[in-house]
Amino acid sequence: MKNGLALFLGAFVILALSWAGLLLTAHQQLGSLSQYKDPTDDVLYPQPLSGVADQGRLVYQDLGCVSCHTQQVRHEGFGSDIERKWGLRGSYARDYIRDNTVFIGQSRLGPDLRNTGSLELHPYADAEYFYKLLYAPHSVAPGTNMPAYTFLFDVHPLAGRQPSDKAISLPGKYAPGAGYEVVPTLRARALVAYLMSLKDPFDYPTERNLNAAAAPAKEGAH
Amino acid sequence: MNSTDNNARTEQMEIDASAKWPVLVFFGSAILWLIAGGALQLIASIQLHTPSFLAGCAWTTYGRVAPAAQNALIYGWGMNAAFAFGLWLMARLSATTLRHGGWLFVAAKFWNIGVTLGLLGILGRFSTSFELLEMPRFVTLILLAGYAMIGVWAVTTFSIRNTENVYASQWYLFGAAFWFPWLYAIAQIMLLKAPVRGVLQPVVNAWYVHGLYGLWFIPVALAAAYYFLPKILGKPIANYYLAALAFWWLVGTTAFAGGSRLIGAPVPVWISTLGAVANFLLVVPVVVIALNLFGTLSGRYSALQSSITLRFIFVSILGFVLASAFNLALSMRGFAQVVQFTLMTDLRDWLIFYACFSTAMFGAAYFILPRLTGKEWRSTILVKTHFFTTALGVVLLTAGLAAAGWQQGHLLNDATVPFGDITKVLTFWFTFRSIGLIVLLIGHLAFLINFVWIACPLNSRGTPLASFHQPPDLSLPNPAKAATEGHA
Repeated sequence: MKNGLALFLGAFVILALSWAGLLLTAHQQLGSLSQYKDPTDDVLYPQPLSGVADQGRLVYQDLGCVSCHTQQVRHEGFGSDIERKWGLRGSYARDYIRDNTVFIGQSRLGPDLRNTGSLELHPYADAEYFYKLLYAPHSVAPGTNMPAYTFLFDVHPLAGRQPSDKAISLPGKYAPGAGYEVVPTLRARALVAYLMSLKDPFDYPTERNLNAAAAPAKEGAH
Repeated sequence: MNSTDNNARTEQMEIDASAKWPVLVFFGSAILWLIAGGALQLIASIQLHTPSFLAGCAWTTYGRVAPAAQNALIYGWGMNAAFAFGLWLMARLSATTLRHGGWLFVAAKFWNIGVTLGLLGILGRFSTSFELLEMPRFVTLILLAGYAMIGVWAVTTFSIRNTENVYASQWYLFGAAFWFPWLYAIAQIMLLKAPVRGVLQPVVNAWYVHGLYGLWFIPVALAAAYYFLPKILGKPIANYYLAALAFWWLVGTTAFAGGSRLIGAPVPVWISTLGAVANFLLVVPVVVIALNLFGTLSGRYSALQSSITLRFIFVSILGFVLASAFNLALSMRGFAQVVQFTLMTDLRDWLIFYACFSTAMFGAAYFILPRLTGKEWRSTILVKTHFFTTALGVVLLTAGLAAAGWQQGHLLNDATVPFGDITKVLTFWFTFRSIGLIVLLIGHLAFLINFVWIACPLNSRGTPLASFHQPPDLSLPNPAKAATEGHA
């Protein structure tokens, strides 16, 4: 090989083809996915995030939660995500069009969070649970190696005042001591609103059919 | 004959003199980042088995330290080292001096300021949470401006070459010089400037990450292997006529392999299938490259004893083969079903970046720096420590993370095992990883000390000859010539 131009053109064509073949084609296929209107109750799914939850998305992003948590439920028959109650069904591409930034993640040092706000799957997971989890992880999840996010909370002395209605109640060992209260900051409240918004309750008939069509093929492959 | 040889030698000395300061600056910053990134990586690793370690402060929470460490290593150590090595080799193989090297200082400043700001951004709440693109948007232009100068220098040096033939290392360097800025700019535009919707973001991200490893770090490592083996052994690459085929096949398929990172993800199945097919096709060029490189080494393994560069390059080639095998295994559905999302995925990228690329750069540094400075490595013990810890660390971490990932994957797939129990099992492996990282860090510190000794201008008289043997390379024909001979 002697010709610099041929080398350049070859290098260019390879990357251009991979860009067009992979990214543009995928964009062509998925770029215009829209919400699905459920004919029974005229509601559009997936439902958009509330404003607070969307702020919480930014907290999730800047704290790097994606380092340890995925947000993708693998389909029945591929891993045990459904059995672990990480979702009622596998995730579809359409579920993610509501997310401004998509954190599907690639590491499960912690559990999957795609449906962490689903009370149907996790009846115990209310806002109080998440505040405790963030302030003192061991108080609700013994044995976890999740770090405490104490910097998302204000610990003040009560100094005779009435406790804040937002203060969280912690079991003795984790409480800051008599005369103190632990109040979530705005960032903590936004993050918890985001976590509680994470759920894909609706099963799209279009995707379900795709999935059903794929199922026999999967059995054949095994 | 004698006079042409002498001319060739003077020319090399001129080239080395022109490249001296840019290369020293890039290598120097690279090594500092290697230490800083290694320290951050160690902090992150400790946090996984001792979660309370530095947890009280937002700047040092695991979710920020881990990506900061990764970015410091990739953009700080990896890119700077690749710049140092790539510019030097491009000048050497093009038989032309590196002109107007002063501008490269400006480029190095831009690049390193960009990386520093990017890391501070990640630690100080501006992370984007896209893998390897975590640095906030405002550093993109600084990095691209810095890179533009470096890339232009590499390409200009190539285009004013004084050689007839273009050698394999040059193809890889030339290609990489173009692929990185394209990949980076496209990923920045499609993820941060004008973000694509929904799951297209992970697709773009996987394409970028795979491209960065496969079209930047691997080509630079292979350029080193294709150069140093014939150079130090004094014989042409075995079956060199196959190298061009391997090059085009390798880069052509790697460019499409990114989708293999998305098996089971909520994206159309053709994306991961295409990636798996590409990874299968990659077997051919990997075998050809292994034939080229191991064929050159065959019968000459005793040379590994006398050349530290050769030893590092040998580890790098093994790392390349192992990383390719891992990539292929991870793109198979049955295997991915178990080890996806475990420490095994970390291992895949680490093998490319550390076992293949970083070791090649260590080898290159041990060859280049004495020639640029005209001095010897001061301490043989430190050189040996560096090699020993690197080899030991690679073996420990590869075996450890593979075993850990396998176990973690099986536990994750058994829904009857509570999540807390998996963490308990993993605590052992996290501790194991911290130990492995400490071993590596010791080697890096030894490397730093030796580098300071050899690069410090105050130490102008040079240091006594270190006791390991000078490889018998200066009197040998350059590999471009050797390659032509092999070709004929």
